[in-house]
Amino acid sequence: MAIKFKSLSYVYDYGMPYAHKAVDSIDLAIREGVITAVIGETGSGKSTMVEHLNALLLPTEGELEVLDYNIIANEKTKGLKNLRKQVGLVFQFSEYQLFEETVIKDVAFGPKNFGMSEEEATKKAMMALKLVGLDESYYELSPLELSGGQKRRVAIAGILASEPKVIVLDEPTAGLDPRGAKDMINLFVELNKKFNTTVIIVSHDNEMVYNYCEDVVVMKKGKVGFHGKTVDLFWDNKMLEDFNLLEPQIVTFKKYLMEKGFELKKEDRTIEAIAKRVAKEVNG
Amino acid sequence: MKTAVLGKYMPLNSPIHNLDPRAKIIAMFLLIVAVFVPQNYFVTLGLFAIILICVIISRIGFKYILQAFKPLIFMMFFLLVINILTVKNGTLLASIGPLSIYTGALSSTLAVVTRLVMMIMLTTLLTATTKPLDLTLGIEYILGPLKIVKFPVHEVAMMISIALRFIPTIIEETMRIMNSQKSRGVDFEEGKLKEKISAILSLIVPLFAAAFQRAYDLADAMEARGYVPGANRTKYRKLAYRFSDFVVIFFSIAILGLSIASRFVL
Repeated sequence: MAIKFKSLSYVYDYGMPYAHKAVDSIDLAIREGVITAVIGETGSGKSTMVEHLNALLLPTEGELEVLDYNIIANEKTKGLKNLRKQVGLVFQFSEYQLFEETVIKDVAFGPKNFGMSEEEATKKAMMALKLVGLDESYYELSPLELSGGQKRRVAIAGILASEPKVIVLDEPTAGLDPRGAKDMINLFVELNKKFNTTVIIVSHDNEMVYNYCEDVVVMKKGKVGFHGKTVDLFWDNKMLEDFNLLEPQIVTFKKYLMEKGFELKKEDRTIEAIAKRVAKEVNG
Repeated sequence: MKTAVLGKYMPLNSPIHNLDPRAKIIAMFLLIVAVFVPQNYFVTLGLFAIILICVIISRIGFKYILQAFKPLIFMMFFLLVINILTVKNGTLLASIGPLSIYTGALSSTLAVVTRLVMMIMLTTLLTATTKPLDLTLGIEYILGPLKIVKFPVHEVAMMISIALRFIPTIIEETMRIMNSQKSRGVDFEEGKLKEKISAILSLIVPLFAAAFQRAYDLADAMEARGYVPGANRTKYRKLAYRFSDFVVIFFSIAILGLSIASRFVL
């Protein structure tokens, strides 16, 4: 099963003189169990598109298939709350959603809303906090006193605690230090590997997208410009130019090495993989 | 946010949009006074026609104006009830038990409601055709003479414009936090009282935390750019009356004059 957008459009302020079509009849099938990146210029409709995935926005036209749900424009769909449990959406600057007195309570807030008992929710919260790398010493702190990066982790734990099958992240690494950003991405890679979670990341960070995301969707003016393998996009100079994207540094480096006669494969995406291959060739 | 229509600016291009904000504020003020001068039905109808023509010229559309009435339907109904209960003149129309409805009650309700409707149309017209910042600039100019009596005109205008400036930001923020909490299973529409309180709390607390943070940041940013309250400041935008502005003010004065005069003549 995939997540399918079928000629889906979304219009903000529908019927008003300043109505604005943010997503323009897109057809798209996002594979489950894969990390997919959504990239594109500001205002290209990325966020609008992903907000449909847990029915925060309902399509103006067209339909959307996600998990067992079929959301059709102008028709009422039942059980949206359960859909929201299964599709976790982490917003840009998610740290602003924290409000409880303690970190543990805040993380347990989601599971409790989805019908878990107090103890069960707390248990899930502890697991989620462990996943994001926050230990017991944080449980009783006020979330408003934490640093920006820690707040972000608590917010993400708040979504993970509900154990979603699909997790959608809008700019999860924006404003984090490089170390924190890398840890964050590794967390999603691990979730994807361990639980086969479908991960959808909206990002501006081409390097991260190239390194960690298997598939990529490029949005351009409300339409899907490209959908396919990340390597296919970033090795295509014409597409990079069309979509106004920068070539990832690793691609530049790899091209240079290949020019110099190293036998590298397209699949070697990370710097570690390239290093291994080069070492092998040098050492014989 | 669909409910926040009241007072929202409509970015269109019309002769009314292009008027000087001062002219619009003054004209609106004069016309509201004209609307509230006790008058006969012909004058009311005439005023209503003039306001309708203004709405048409402004191109904001009747749909928009109608939306502005929604919050006031309850108030109008309330007025009707009060009038029926209190006004006891004119001829008796019907009586149900201790309740009796007189023609006087209906006509005075009608008079008040038509005036309210016209007033709302006028104020909506002003706010829909004038950018909030132009509006405060206009207010600052009009209140300018009060500086003589040491009234802090500029500070008040600055406060109004900061408040107006942050309304869309805070609405956006509210929507974002609501969406985040909805994603965590909060149901803002349904649920028991206890769940509702928890839902509201999950919105209010982050909203306040962010608003305070923003206020501190804004204060720092203003100080960093050398803002001193009460200092003598020059303006980036200066307002200048044009011919059309004088025409509008002249007509507004004429309409007010006529509606006062009609009391003695008709």
